[in-house]
Amino acid sequence: MRKSIRSTTIPDRLLLLFLVVASVAGIFLAREAMPESDEVVIEVDGHPAFTAALQEDRVIRLQSSSGPIEVEISSGRARIKEAHCPNQLCVKQGWVSRGVIVCLPGRVIVFVGGRDTQKKKDLDAVTG
Amino acid sequence: MQLRDKQRIAVLSAYALALHGFEAILPMPVPWLRIGLANIITLVSLLLYDFRTALAVTVIRVTLASMFTGTFLGPSFILSLGGGLSSTAAMGLVHAASRNLFGPVGLSLVGSLFHNLAQLFLAWLLFVQRIGPVLIISPVILLIGTITGVVNGLISSLLIRQLTKENADNPADNSEL
Repeated sequence: MRKSIRSTTIPDRLLLLFLVVASVAGIFLAREAMPESDEVVIEVDGHPAFTAALQEDRVIRLQSSSGPIEVEISSGRARIKEAHCPNQLCVKQGWVSRGVIVCLPGRVIVFVGGRDTQKKKDLDAVTG
Repeated sequence: MQLRDKQRIAVLSAYALALHGFEAILPMPVPWLRIGLANIITLVSLLLYDFRTALAVTVIRVTLASMFTGTFLGPSFILSLGGGLSSTAAMGLVHAASRNLFGPVGLSLVGSLFHNLAQLFLAWLLFVQRIGPVLIISPVILLIGTITGVVNGLISSLLIRQLTKENADNPADNSEL
């Protein structure tokens, strides 16, 4: 394995360096670009289906194309509690305090903290 | 196509399928995370043989693996095939355009990058249809892909050195693979 590492070419190493720097920078940029808010927005089939405050603990039941889906909000975080998709990836993702949970088979997207603040910012610019 | 080429593609595809299956049973911290071990076989096929062999091995591997797991023509098959084809095409083009510029590690990084770009694009086009979530997750996926790409490249490099050494030691026996 040491020979393999030594036999890498200079372009190999430059490419590795570039990819690491670019993707780490991208992670921070994406974090910056994502506006903060205290809302949970649930989209079904690309249409907003439900908006709830992140502070308010509650359980939301929705119908998706793969059956009923249950979103739980508790102490500033949200999770998909129950879904009827085959591999349960969205349920396994667990609690999210800021970000996105996607259930591909059910075509459900849960935005946690931030999506509509961008619109509010635009409005601020108009009114203020 | 010669019979020997067919045998070679069959053996390489079997290796790729075995690695694909092995990877599926490895426990992963995040469910959608893949190391892409099968890409080692694609890369070795490209470097030891030619682009056609690498492409055939990739298509056979993706198709058969999806048939075995029952996801043929489903969403994960489309993502898998799109990623596999674009990564093989990108590695083939870069290899053909710059013979000695990139070693196995560089080519593996190119393959991993285009695999992920194609999958993110397909996921956006067919399933998510919103650019926001895709852009947020992209850098994370590309960073993980870079790490697994280096690992796969190093393994490929090791494998290629061993295989060419064996052939050099015993030139009569180079039809085995």
